[in-house]
Amino acid sequence: MLEVRNLTAGYGGVPAIEGVSLRLDKGEIVGLLGANNAGKTTLINCLSGIVPAMSGAILFEGEDVTKLAPKHRVERGIIQVPEGRLVFPEMSVRENLLLAGFNRRARPHRKAELERVLALLPRLAERMGQMAGTLSGGEQQMLAIGRGLMAGARLLMLDEPSLGLAPRFVQYIFEIVDKLNAEGLTILLVEQNLALTLRHTRRCYVLERGKLVVEGPADVVKADPRTRSAYLGL
Amino acid sequence: MEELLQALTQGVLIGSTYGLLALGMGLTYGVSGIVNFSHGDFVSLGMFMCLALYSAFALDPYLSILITLPALTLIGAITYKLLIQPIANSHLLMIIQLTLGLTLVLQNGLLMIFGGQPARTPSVVESKLIIVGDVVMRLPHLIACVVSFVLAGLLFVMLRSTDTGRSIRAVHQNARAAALMGIDVARVQILTFAIGIGLLAVAAALLIPGTPIHPSQGLRYTVITLLVVVLGGMTNFAGIMASGLVIGIAEAMGTIYLPNVLGLLLPYLIFVAIMLLRPQRR
Repeated sequence: MLEVRNLTAGYGGVPAIEGVSLRLDKGEIVGLLGANNAGKTTLINCLSGIVPAMSGAILFEGEDVTKLAPKHRVERGIIQVPEGRLVFPEMSVRENLLLAGFNRRARPHRKAELERVLALLPRLAERMGQMAGTLSGGEQQMLAIGRGLMAGARLLMLDEPSLGLAPRFVQYIFEIVDKLNAEGLTILLVEQNLALTLRHTRRCYVLERGKLVVEGPADVVKADPRTRSAYLGL
Repeated sequence: MEELLQALTQGVLIGSTYGLLALGMGLTYGVSGIVNFSHGDFVSLGMFMCLALYSAFALDPYLSILITLPALTLIGAITYKLLIQPIANSHLLMIIQLTLGLTLVLQNGLLMIFGGQPARTPSVVESKLIIVGDVVMRLPHLIACVVSFVLAGLLFVMLRSTDTGRSIRAVHQNARAAALMGIDVARVQILTFAIGIGLLAVAAALLIPGTPIHPSQGLRYTVITLLVVVLGGMTNFAGIMASGLVIGIAEAMGTIYLPNVLGLLLPYLIFVAIMLLRPQRR
């Protein structure tokens, strides 16, 4: 479904990721691991089109999307749920969700999708009229995921969904992620939390200082000493 | 008492149009973080377009809106796309420099075409008066007030409950998140600026009956707009309309109660007083 070839990207001419290649098959849930500053967020921002690629290619369902504007990638179903949630604080939960379903491909099924999202995340249904900025962190994460679904995600890229959440919310969010994947959604899970990610994914990539150092099935990645060193910087 | 009522009425009638002038600036600031120092010169441009249409086709300024509104909206879009967007991410001073430059271009362009004599664009309703009790209202002022509030209301509804409005608010609240949700941020910025400039076409037609115009007047409108926007809290819609009224009333009071120059200063004095004394979050 997604194929990244030799991707280099960064800011102001300085690469933050270099020569990254990875692939995701349809229906897979794949982890992208790494310490702070390893380049995880740069990588998915590049996949979203927020950070331009300096070289390399991004193929989505066989189509080269490397040069497409963020808007057109969203229309194709490449959706990022950003780190820190970034909900629209002064809009109600309902407006946040409706706005996310605004792109050309998602709009025709906006009503039906809204019902599906609210069935999946009943907590949001209770909060529809509330300003998103007044939600708890966990609820904001649910809203951010709900927004991603409303936008018509076919590849959902979750950036640090566990960050700053109470443990019971982390567990709840990961149950949702598992459920979505079980329904066939392709998910790229970007996380610092090694144990959690290994538990919820089948396959992982480990980034260290902008380069992929380990890849493979979760247990192999777990056993690989380079994974540990990528985290500890040894 | 009579005078006071008269001043208040006059202030509200004029002030509502000041609010309208400022809404566009507030919207643009909210979405793009830029302040357009040639704002008032676009008002001038709108007024001189009314004058030209009157001279050529004897068109009433209110009818001219049908032409000036789309024209200025388009000019606004082009200005943003070609001039402002390329430097929108650079230093604030660059934007100030650019828009001040635009002021000179517009002023001198108008001077070149229309000359420097004060010109008038009459309207059929220009000299009509409405008298309620002891208060005398000029019909154009009343029209200006009604239209301004109606437009502000429409704009509010548009922002509140249409997809376009929501995407404008989304870019204001978090541009990065908006981009990740598939909103074309650059397009929203152009659109917002164009709407803001388009509103000036309406404001120009509302202000022109009975007012002599001159190419150098733009700065006055820019300054009034800045006062209103800053006083209203930059992006707070209701605040901007309310502060339009405050500035309008201050101006009316000043002209009625105070000797000449001091009267003209009153809006600024009130502005400074409010900025100093307003309740502040600590």
